[in-house]
Amino acid sequence: MTEKSRKILGNHVETRNLDDLIIADNYRGKITFTSETVHGQQDLLESICPTKALSKKDSDTMTLDNGKCIMCGYCTESFPKLMKIENKCPSPTKTKNKLVEYSAPQEHLPEKSYEQIGRELKEKIKKLFGRSLAIREIDAGSCNGCEIEITALNNPIYDIERFGICFVSSPRHADVLLVTGPASRNMQTALLRTYEATPSPKIVIAVGACACSGGIFGDSYATTGGIDNVIPVDVYIPGCPPRPEILIQGLLLAVNRMITNGI
Amino acid sequence: MNQVNIQICIKEIISSFLNKIKKVDHKNNEIYIHLRDIDDMPVICNHVYTSLNTKLATIICTDEQKNDNDFVIRYVFEKLNADIFIFIIASLKKSKYFPSIVSQIPAAASYEREIKDMFGLVPVGNPDLRPLVLHEHWPNDIFPLRKEFDLKTKVARQEQEYPFLRVDGDGICEISVGPVHAGIIEPGHFRFSVLGENIINLETRLFYAHKGIEKLAESMKLDEVLLLSERISGDESVANSTAYCQAIEKISQVYIPNKAKKTRTIFGELERVYNHIGTLGGISTDAGFAFGAARLNILKERMMQLNESLSGSRILFGVNRIGGVKYDISDKNKKLILEQIEEVSSDFEKIIVFLRSKSSFMDRLKGTGIIPKKIAHDLGIVGVAARCVGIDVDTRHDHPYANYTVHNSRTPQQIMQDQIEMEKRSGDALARFEVRVKEVHDSFKIVRESLDLDDDDGLFTEVPKEITPYSYALGYAESHRGQTLHWIMMGEKNSIFRYKIRTASFCNWKIIEHAVLNDIVPDFPLVNKSLDLSYSGNDL
Repeated sequence: MTEKSRKILGNHVETRNLDDLIIADNYRGKITFTSETVHGQQDLLESICPTKALSKKDSDTMTLDNGKCIMCGYCTESFPKLMKIENKCPSPTKTKNKLVEYSAPQEHLPEKSYEQIGRELKEKIKKLFGRSLAIREIDAGSCNGCEIEITALNNPIYDIERFGICFVSSPRHADVLLVTGPASRNMQTALLRTYEATPSPKIVIAVGACACSGGIFGDSYATTGGIDNVIPVDVYIPGCPPRPEILIQGLLLAVNRMITNGI
Repeated sequence: MNQVNIQICIKEIISSFLNKIKKVDHKNNEIYIHLRDIDDMPVICNHVYTSLNTKLATIICTDEQKNDNDFVIRYVFEKLNADIFIFIIASLKKSKYFPSIVSQIPAAASYEREIKDMFGLVPVGNPDLRPLVLHEHWPNDIFPLRKEFDLKTKVARQEQEYPFLRVDGDGICEISVGPVHAGIIEPGHFRFSVLGENIINLETRLFYAHKGIEKLAESMKLDEVLLLSERISGDESVANSTAYCQAIEKISQVYIPNKAKKTRTIFGELERVYNHIGTLGGISTDAGFAFGAARLNILKERMMQLNESLSGSRILFGVNRIGGVKYDISDKNKKLILEQIEEVSSDFEKIIVFLRSKSSFMDRLKGTGIIPKKIAHDLGIVGVAARCVGIDVDTRHDHPYANYTVHNSRTPQQIMQDQIEMEKRSGDALARFEVRVKEVHDSFKIVRESLDLDDDDGLFTEVPKEITPYSYALGYAESHRGQTLHWIMMGEKNSIFRYKIRTASFCNWKIIEHAVLNDIVPDFPLVNKSLDLSYSGNDL
């Protein structure tokens, strides 16, 4: 453990300061295009992507829908010269079409650490609400991968409550709905009712590729192909599953949205 | 040795039912018995179940109408004292009825209801024919797993009410919980009938997370189904993808390199460790002891960070590939694993000693959610839930796969000791707590022993480009919840004709209705967490 670590209890159980929590080098995060042109390879790339995240834009460009990408890395294995997988995560967005990127080089904002986002979030929540931000999590048919990461937010390492964010038991107490899964048909009514039971103003966050687009489960007889086909979504968090850092970034985006929209 | 057992088994069945059997066949560790008439099914199943020391593993239905075979039903029995699976196979002959075996083998109940929903075939004699997978809002004439049904069909909703079991009497109330729960968990509905605080009856209603995985697989390429199998239940990704890969490897008769076997074993055990630690933390939370949970969750997080540095995914997605594994464990990573598990196991030990010393915590677990052994046996329970009542089933021992053949050697004395240990287990939440603690230690041991990856025989074997259509095999693995079974029948042009998945959760969900019967409502979360069942793995 580094010098920066802080003890929370005796007996060698301690957590690191999250400022220096680094993502492993081989973490499979964001897919990026390394070549300016993908001319001639588009059909192959399209057919190799299991979730149809890659699609043809015009004769020279491809689009990558981060909301569909499940980070399997099949495209980078077959076309190492065209694409690579980075250990960075795709960013949450406010609209679905912002999740889509083009094969032309993109500008990226400098990344902030979990702690920095958390502190910013804490200030904004305090200013806006004067109390904690209450979240209700709904599983609308996820594989429970996203749940593992959302639960991790509550562990003593990420400890999201210190930023004034708490998970509540009832939608009636919630400001934010955190929804995972491709919105299975059997959950449709329950999801709608939970949404209706949440008092306005409310923010809905779709968590994970399934919630954004149906992910690998797609749009079938048993799913509805994304949360926004059932209830309106305000923030999309891509990933399969999204890391805690990205979840909290999505929450920051949600709070920013509340500030600009005014509550 | 196993070949001899297979011959004995076949002889035994043939000698009893010679004139009822059309054909007997065997391949690998699977025996196939084709019957002349499906009406003989209950008699033969009952014989196999009672006289051959087996348990019902799964019931598989396939729509082979295009191949002039009508609907075919395969009853799969797992032999308890040998590495053998017995398939009893019969086709339906243009009728939509088949005889139920529930009265002799209670474990068959939910499989038969599932077949009724997905194929529209009616099990005659099953007392409970309410819909299971397709909820009340589905029309009655929709059968998704039939071949003529298109995956993308959008079915109209209809209004109907589900007939829950009603308990009548003075002062009896109903409490309905879910599908959206209070905590961060998956969707499911629980209907309690209570007298005061005591639970008189519990009815579980699941399949809210039904995503049509089995149907979806039929439209995908083999390596895409691999990704799908990882997402059957996110926390069981290694176990499920291992079972899937093994099924494909078995069909194409491919033997994977030793290095791949060991790597699969290591990842499988790492998965068990982080989940068991998480569940123990969950038990601590639900017993109202947040301190223990906090400390265990730190360890879970550390294991997940280790997962990430090894495989690039915090929950071990993308470890397996058909024919082997994707990632090599470098010398640097070996050192990292050893360091991490050394640290985690010593911290873990301290926390467990601490938890055991808290009488209020132990008292909360003791005697809570007792699973009756007889019922556990009848319902064919697997995994930790079975081992906590002393039913010694573990796929790693019973049907060794990957590198577990090596970790199985026990001296007669150890076997005796294990049996005595099993007899002592009482089936309550405390027993499940202790079983998990023991398994975490065992897993650490297996990981340490498997780390000698000296074999230099590559990470994978190429699988043939074209696999024989309509050949099939069973893949299996032990997840942290118990046995997961994947049966695959190949279709034409390397597609999948039928992918039948039965996870441990599908077997174990039934037991919770019995485990809570002598408890009060506030015990339910604790009992539920101590069983640690997956909703997504059950609902598919």
